[in-house]
Amino acid sequence: MGDDIRDLFFDPNHPTLLGGCARAASAEEARYRVQYPNSRARTSRIFALDAAAAEVMYGVTESPWNGAHFLTLSTTATIDPEATPAEALPLAHPDGAAADLGRELDGADVVVLLATRGDSEGAAEVIAREAFHRKIMCAGLALAQDQQDHAVDRVVNSMRRFASVLVVARDNDFVPAMLTALRA
Amino acid sequence: MLRKEVNDLLTQTDPGTPMGDMFRQYWIPALLARELPEDDCPPVRVKLLGERLLAFRDSHGRYGLIDEFCAHRGVSLWFGRNEEGGLRCPYHGWKYDVEGNCTEVPSEPAESGFCEKIKLTAYPLIRIGDVLWTHMGDKDNRPPRPEWEFATVPAEQTYTSKRWQECNWLQAMEGGIDSSHVSWLHSGSLKSDPLFKGARGNQYNQNDKKPVFEVVEADGGLFIGARRMAENDQYYWRITPWVMPSFTMVPPRGDHPVHGHFWIPIDDENCWAWSFDYHPTRALSTEERQAMIDGYGVHNQYVPGTFRPRQNKDNDYLMDRDAQKRGETYSGVWGIAMQDASLQESMGPIVDRTKENLVSTDNGIIMARHRLRKAAVALRDKGTPPPGRDIAHQMVRSAARVLPQDQPFKDAMKDDLTVRPGVKQTSV
Repeated sequence: MGDDIRDLFFDPNHPTLLGGCARAASAEEARYRVQYPNSRARTSRIFALDAAAAEVMYGVTESPWNGAHFLTLSTTATIDPEATPAEALPLAHPDGAAADLGRELDGADVVVLLATRGDSEGAAEVIAREAFHRKIMCAGLALAQDQQDHAVDRVVNSMRRFASVLVVARDNDFVPAMLTALRA
Repeated sequence: MLRKEVNDLLTQTDPGTPMGDMFRQYWIPALLARELPEDDCPPVRVKLLGERLLAFRDSHGRYGLIDEFCAHRGVSLWFGRNEEGGLRCPYHGWKYDVEGNCTEVPSEPAESGFCEKIKLTAYPLIRIGDVLWTHMGDKDNRPPRPEWEFATVPAEQTYTSKRWQECNWLQAMEGGIDSSHVSWLHSGSLKSDPLFKGARGNQYNQNDKKPVFEVVEADGGLFIGARRMAENDQYYWRITPWVMPSFTMVPPRGDHPVHGHFWIPIDDENCWAWSFDYHPTRALSTEERQAMIDGYGVHNQYVPGTFRPRQNKDNDYLMDRDAQKRGETYSGVWGIAMQDASLQESMGPIVDRTKENLVSTDNGIIMARHRLRKAAVALRDKGTPPPGRDIAHQMVRSAARVLPQDQPFKDAMKDDLTVRPGVKQTSV
């Protein structure tokens, strides 16, 4: 970079582009941006890994989402990830109907794991493993509302190995905010 | 994606708007102290949060930030004479002190007391470090004076600059908490910028372009952790603190000074990007300070006599496609600060967030918006003061460290992320 600003402004080898950035970045020009839907609907799968997380999830399932599926574990038993293939993970839709992990992840774009407790590591691993094989982004959301630090740590630790992004949210109202932002 | 009404709420900061009211809860940087270098020096026009103001330093060294326009006929007091303890309008001689009080109306008998009926809006202006700070809110609800570490270390350890950025404050600030762009946009500068190069951590950045993020809420804002693979199956963590409403820090590299920013609205389509560099335990070297003055690191070069960057949208940021081809810069724009600013300004004055397609790695941005919205609404509806006003919330540092995989950064780096006077930053 030269030292004299005039050299730069008037350098014939380095002309300012007429109609370039100054015009293009103006509010007036913003009106001419092409108006069209620049993305297709995403296929989001949200899994509540424990009962309290399911309660939070049920609070938002009635909203008009863009095809998101909300799923819960239909067992409170500990899941052994080594002994549980994807098709054997007991999952349910909000109406209680059984769901199959493989079918749910077919064509999915993003998986979101919701947890308030740290004892669902096995289920998280089964879901995340399947998502990983299918190259689906997996996000973990630890819900820390009304929880002690050590309990939150357990939740976070249970998901850290599997999530490409992990969020610790102090308030449950982050769930709809995040899902809206991600066009779930 | 953000609904239009939420985007409007977060981006509008004029008086009477929810986010404007929220910014008025804080001490915010208004001017560099060197803009008012001596008593009775020329006054300086300042626009903040959509208000046209004038800053001056009177004959007794007192700083004032008052309505720019004379109450008589609306003349700009930038033309005023700064003398004998006040600023006198050159049109008819009306005079004001640093608190906006009209002290003389020469055409009226002094005994009439007319001038006591005239008062301009005025905000306090205090000096802490290299910065003059103002609080534009209710004086009965004034927070404690700011104690950010960059502003309170000895003068030889710190350097602050500011630049005019021609876009809304929020899209500028969101760049400050978006760690994933560094491996792309700034990849050329990591190898060459004197305030960045040479750190071991740069190799981790270059080798792993798919960081994994962990976003953790703090009392004053967020800690946004980005982890990349390091040797021996360990993680290289870079932690970016964000303190509400608009303070961000860049994780450090090696023993280089630590950088950070304030993003302060001028109006809805312009903001001040404040940039600081400091070292917690040593003086900046002559070379480091000169590099900052020369526009390296988070700083920039200027159109002489202004705070407008030398590379700006009127000269297409001096785009150099050859340097881009040679790999010296990734985007063709020179310098880290203007690499960011050029792209953020290209979004338009206020980006339409209804069109965006965020992905899960954008969760730091998603959470920051969520917290800003909640805080603005809580202030509007319940009068709840927002986070970030407490001194304890300001006692944060960025940090970088290699950790075993099983150690969460929020616990293992708790001390690293806290201001510890006399203790060096934690860096790789």
